[in-house]
Amino acid sequence: MKKKSFLLFTTSILILIFWGSCKKEEQAVAAPQPDNEFITTVQLKATNTVDATDTPSAKWVKLNPADTAAPDLSHATLSLKKNASYNVQVKFLDESKTPVGDITQEVLTRANYHLVCFNVASGLSLTVSPTDHDTNVPALPIGLSNLFSTNTVSSGHLEVLLHHQPNVKNGDCAPGSIDADVNFTVTIN
Amino acid sequence: MGRFINAMVLPAIFAVFPVAVKAQDCKYLVHGVVIDKGHHPIPGVFVHLVNDSLGTATDTSGSFTFPNICSGSHTIACESIGYKKISLTTDVTADKFLTITMSNDENELGEVVISGEKKHVLQTVTTQEIKGLALLQTRGETLGETLKEMPGMNSIQTGPGLSKPVIHGLHSNRVLLINDGIRQEGQQWGSDHAPEIDPFVANKITVVKGAASVRYGADAIGGVVLLEPDDLPTEKSLNGNIYAIAASNGHAGTVSGTLQGAFDKKLEGLSWRVQGTLKEAGNFYTPNYYLINTGLKEGDFSGNVTYKWKHVNFNLYYSQYNTETGIFAGAESSSPKDLAEKIASSRPLVPSYFSYDINRSYQTVAHDLLKASVNYKFANNSKLDLIFGRQKDLRQEYDAGLPYTTNLDLLNKPQLSFKLVTHSLDLIYTSAIKNGFSGSVGITGNTSGNVFGGIRYLIPNFRDYNAGAFAIERYNYKKFTFEGGLRYDYRWLRVYQRNPTTLALYNTTYSYQNVTGTIGATYRYNAHLNFTGNIGTAWRAPSINEMYINGEHFSSASYEVGDSTLKSERSVNTSLSVNYTGNKFRLIADMYYNKIGNYIYSQPQMRSVTLVSGTYPLFQYTQNNVNIKGIDLSMQYDLTSHLSIQSKTTIVLGYNESIHDYLIYMPANRFENGVTYQFHKIWKLNEPYLTVEQLTISKQDRVPPNVDFAPPPAGYTLINVNAGFTAPFFHHLLTVNIGVTNIGNTAYRDYLNHFRYYADDLGSNYVLRLKYSF
Repeated sequence: MKKKSFLLFTTSILILIFWGSCKKEEQAVAAPQPDNEFITTVQLKATNTVDATDTPSAKWVKLNPADTAAPDLSHATLSLKKNASYNVQVKFLDESKTPVGDITQEVLTRANYHLVCFNVASGLSLTVSPTDHDTNVPALPIGLSNLFSTNTVSSGHLEVLLHHQPNVKNGDCAPGSIDADVNFTVTIN
Repeated sequence: MGRFINAMVLPAIFAVFPVAVKAQDCKYLVHGVVIDKGHHPIPGVFVHLVNDSLGTATDTSGSFTFPNICSGSHTIACESIGYKKISLTTDVTADKFLTITMSNDENELGEVVISGEKKHVLQTVTTQEIKGLALLQTRGETLGETLKEMPGMNSIQTGPGLSKPVIHGLHSNRVLLINDGIRQEGQQWGSDHAPEIDPFVANKITVVKGAASVRYGADAIGGVVLLEPDDLPTEKSLNGNIYAIAASNGHAGTVSGTLQGAFDKKLEGLSWRVQGTLKEAGNFYTPNYYLINTGLKEGDFSGNVTYKWKHVNFNLYYSQYNTETGIFAGAESSSPKDLAEKIASSRPLVPSYFSYDINRSYQTVAHDLLKASVNYKFANNSKLDLIFGRQKDLRQEYDAGLPYTTNLDLLNKPQLSFKLVTHSLDLIYTSAIKNGFSGSVGITGNTSGNVFGGIRYLIPNFRDYNAGAFAIERYNYKKFTFEGGLRYDYRWLRVYQRNPTTLALYNTTYSYQNVTGTIGATYRYNAHLNFTGNIGTAWRAPSINEMYINGEHFSSASYEVGDSTLKSERSVNTSLSVNYTGNKFRLIADMYYNKIGNYIYSQPQMRSVTLVSGTYPLFQYTQNNVNIKGIDLSMQYDLTSHLSIQSKTTIVLGYNESIHDYLIYMPANRFENGVTYQFHKIWKLNEPYLTVEQLTISKQDRVPPNVDFAPPPAGYTLINVNAGFTAPFFHHLLTVNIGVTNIGNTAYRDYLNHFRYYADDLGSNYVLRLKYSF
């Protein structure tokens, strides 16, 4: 009797083990979520305010985030004319997908949580002022649409940052976290 | 009341030692010391062995000695004027040292504590335990915080809600957690992944400091934390306790309760326990501001049924642990630039207010444990244990930002999700003591499957199988105990991945095997002084993150790359302990030298990785030979029978021998000095006490250069106060404790708190703890 119940217990345990470990859920590795978008590309699309045919653009690309290789900077130079004004749209794209995912829309949808900031290197005679606003009270800039004003001939880095500021947006760049931080080269001729 | 205590305690003792033992071998020394609840020896206590009609009185140091005692079960009774008479039963199979605690007669509220019987298998390894009043004073805290009162222990933190125990400078997957005999299998690889255990399940927590792989298997490089519940009652009864804890900082509240009972007549042998804990805290505060989104919620329960039938004991245990923990909103550094800006700021840039709300980012953890065990006791007192365990650990992390998607299902999914399911089976034979020899042999096996979910890749899926066999033998000879053990372990690991472009599945298989051992001895110079030395080895296979992580590490703003060719870590730990228990002075000194070969760590590379979110310093997992040495010192001196002073010192020195530099994130020197006044009785309050303690942490100067994001913070000193008493309340016992930490509301930052980059550590905290036993 004693031995019987001991054996019964042991057997049921062993069955439990094999039943449990035979499901092998781990072998079916989940495929990447097709709807999940991540920023691969930051694009600047400029339009001269007085000459609609003058539309320089630049983009900064890194297709695979799990990759220690350098980003593709072959198109990361924006050429602007001196003493000019440009309306500049900032686009955030997922170019790892077909068709290309447009993350700009999602940033705009949650505009009250986002802020695009610009750092102009000293020596580059460029001023950037945002022209769009969110629905915070008072309204705060978003920075997806901007007015770029150039002055003298110069060149240098322009750092574009997408700040993610859920519940902490106050108009400053500092709070929250940074979703994008890329450097373009701007040449003013 | 006294009858009630007997009803609770004595059955527990009887349960461990069945009465009938026939072997007669009358050569054993039964000796010990009788102390009061303030740990003061009581002279002149009449101690008698009831069955043998032997009696003696304790000397001025509270000591008693019975030479030439036969093996078998003995009932020892202690009587002294002013103290409650107690009797206890003990099983003599070797020389035995007993510590018997007597409580004052007028209150009848004491408890019997026998610490002569060591439960853990390795006796020459340095161990330390926390229970009773010391454990009560930590109730409501996380497991990591609970243990840091012990010399040699620290905790590594990610804010106020997440902390992990650090043993001699090592933590995470170098510290093994054993919950009631089951290896905790969670997601311990992350330094921000707190142990998935409700500390209330344990009424005693033992820390094995140093290599203990021989008994507990792989990973015990730093040591082992053993959580042990109370024994279940065996005589018909119904009792329990309720804890209610309120803390000012975080407006935190904890309620925990236990109800247990046993049956008689037809259901004799059947006993049960149910236990549960609820905890909630809001935003914690530092001396100058609140830490936004640091609230937490926790809900745990467990149930235990045991049935004793002749020599067989069946036990079934189930527990569930659930938490939701907010991550401080000011600590989201997504890139090195962001981190640098936050470090430069003297206070967090986020608004400061109190709230119980938990927003993104947060993490949820659910841990289930099912344990079924059967224990067979042979006629000669040997026993055989078969223990089966099944654990499911589900960990989900939600980033601060919602994922960029228009798919609503994805929007609400955690960015990271890991599910680890582990099955284990252990068979262990423990032999009775014969001619001074005793030992245990066992085989252990477990298998885990990890499934990665979520939408941001971190670690791959895997399946592992682990098997081990061990033998430990101990020999007691006069004043010596010798101990030796040997173990073999095999680990098989298969990693499942998907090619990111072709999406084809593929897998990679690894295997590891290791032999570990331990050898040690204890020399009891006399009843007051003993020396213990041990050399033990341990090993650990590289964990999945060390092999496969590839990407930005959000909490440290670095880019980490794993190495799947890493070899096992192996450590050799040498320890020497001196234990002196005198009339007025007590001292425990533990010295150790832990040499770890192939120590795995993430080493900074001299280049960076540019991602869209910024440029990150690159860290690569690599292996070097390191050593960690140190000393844990604790002393107590009784100035009078009421007034005592205590001192604890922890010094840890970690050094990387391969690159001739210090190890990062080693605990700074820690000094704790306190004074306790124990009153006899005030009004109806029994044994009231007041402790004032000064805690000083030095600045950590032993750090490698140019690796950390910010220099180590300055040293600091905090004053903590603890007071309490017990009192009868509606026919039962109410224990009250009031603890104040950081009474001066000093602003400080701790080197081992990851949030030191962003914010100060916690301000003052007033805690009221009530325990009602019925």
